[in-house]
Amino acid sequence: MSGTSVFSKGIRLTGRLLLYAAALFLILGPLSSLVIWSLAEQWHWPAMLPQRWGTMYWEKAFRGELMNSFVTGLEIAVIVTGVVIVLAVPLAYVLARFHIPFKALILVLFLFPQAFPSLPVFANLMTLFYRWDIAGKVSGVVLVQVGAALIYSLWTMVSVFQSVPRVLEDAAYSMGASRIRAFFDVSLPLAVPGVVASGILVFLYSLDEFTGTLLIGSPFVKTLPVQMYLSSMGYEMQIASVTSLIISIPGILFLLLFQRFLKAEYLSSFGRI
Amino acid sequence: MNYSAVLNGGRGKTGERLLGAAVILPPVALVCTEYVYPFLMSVHSSLLKDGRFSAENYSYSLSVYGGDILFTAFVSALSLALVLALSVTIGGYLTLRRNRFLEFLFKVPLFIPFVVVGHAMRTFLAPKGLLNSLLSQIGVIDINHPPDFIYGAVGIVISLTWKQFSFALLLVMSSFESVDKSYLEAARTFGAGTCRQILNFLIPLTRSSIGVTAVLILTSFLQNFSVVMMMGNSGGSQHIMVDIYNTITYLNDLPLANALGVISYLLALGPAILYLKREMEKA
Repeated sequence: MSGTSVFSKGIRLTGRLLLYAAALFLILGPLSSLVIWSLAEQWHWPAMLPQRWGTMYWEKAFRGELMNSFVTGLEIAVIVTGVVIVLAVPLAYVLARFHIPFKALILVLFLFPQAFPSLPVFANLMTLFYRWDIAGKVSGVVLVQVGAALIYSLWTMVSVFQSVPRVLEDAAYSMGASRIRAFFDVSLPLAVPGVVASGILVFLYSLDEFTGTLLIGSPFVKTLPVQMYLSSMGYEMQIASVTSLIISIPGILFLLLFQRFLKAEYLSSFGRI
Repeated sequence: MNYSAVLNGGRGKTGERLLGAAVILPPVALVCTEYVYPFLMSVHSSLLKDGRFSAENYSYSLSVYGGDILFTAFVSALSLALVLALSVTIGGYLTLRRNRFLEFLFKVPLFIPFVVVGHAMRTFLAPKGLLNSLLSQIGVIDINHPPDFIYGAVGIVISLTWKQFSFALLLVMSSFESVDKSYLEAARTFGAGTCRQILNFLIPLTRSSIGVTAVLILTSFLQNFSVVMMMGNSGGSQHIMVDIYNTITYLNDLPLANALGVISYLLALGPAILYLKREMEKA
């Protein structure tokens, strides 16, 4: 009896270990390939691991063009996040609370772009931006990202305001507060955690945005994703891998720090980057 | 000082209306300029050939890129099937037997942007990549004739599945968790194992939210640009987004690219309508 139970326990344990090994391999395999490439100073096929390891390409990354792309991307992300919050917070509040004319039309307007491919749309926007002389400039990239990030973040912000109890605002009204005062003194303070979370999402979105930045920014404005794409296509495997890892750090940090606090709806926004 | 002036200004009905308009109009104008107008431009320009109205761009697209259109639908559908199968099985398993380590691990791809996934898979799956050298170590493949996992459909399907499986798992698990646990307990009392509980209870009870997950993921596959650009095609079929980009940058033929763009809108139309319907109901 006890022999079989030890045996079946053993099988269960082996099964579990195999499951862990498979999961680790599937998720970390492709990522470990990035880490190895980023540290490979010399790696000739068919050696399984590099012949010479070193941080040469990391040092190179922090000196050269990559640093410029990083700073450009960071500047763009800060501006985009600020502008999107200023535009989206009041809009989300109004959409969450009030009956406004043409509401259905406005909803469609802000939902439709998510469901359709943006590449052909941005290709035509590029011709407009050339006409307005903002293609290939930071202002053009900011503008295309603000539009995309606004659509991306609006719905999480709407649900943030929907979760603020309306009763509290009604109480403020009954004390004679105006709608604006109720917004600034009651709803907004309660919504701050949600607004901060959406702000971080917009920031990460902007850092990782690729399609719009490639079309509108090229060849003068390069953020890290665009730079990485160019080095990968040029078979500069080490540089591309270093860049890939740098791009991934903010998102991974976010996951490590906040995953316990974040609701599925915030996390699921990442399905789009 | 100004703040209180605004407060008083907001008290009147007209003031409120003006303020509402000031809040709504700038974002609406932005979206109209950046999406609606270029969208209409793409439809209009696709119907022009040498300045005249013509369907030539479409007939040309279908004859030259017909295979790529089918290829796009095929890789998207195949990746979707894989993502759903994996996320439902693993999501069901993790709902019934909590495992915080695996739950965390499977969230990782969510935070790796598509463009990085593309590059990581290029290094991992390439003929001379890490996967083949690992496989040759354990004697599964011949190192002198390494198989090619990256070009064509395989690389795209693996990359898209890897990235979006994580997203699907998150949505599927949050809907599985909303299932009343007493059903599952009852099932267990009657001897149902993990498989039965997933197939006969979790899936049927969450069918509509699995449908929503499928729509969101299919949409993201049909419009994916970065991964499909990085996977290359080695002369075979490729994703329609790659065709559009190449037509703009190398052929400099915007009307033709727009015809392909409109075809890509049509491909996305089915899932788009489902998506829109559901979001409108939610709002």
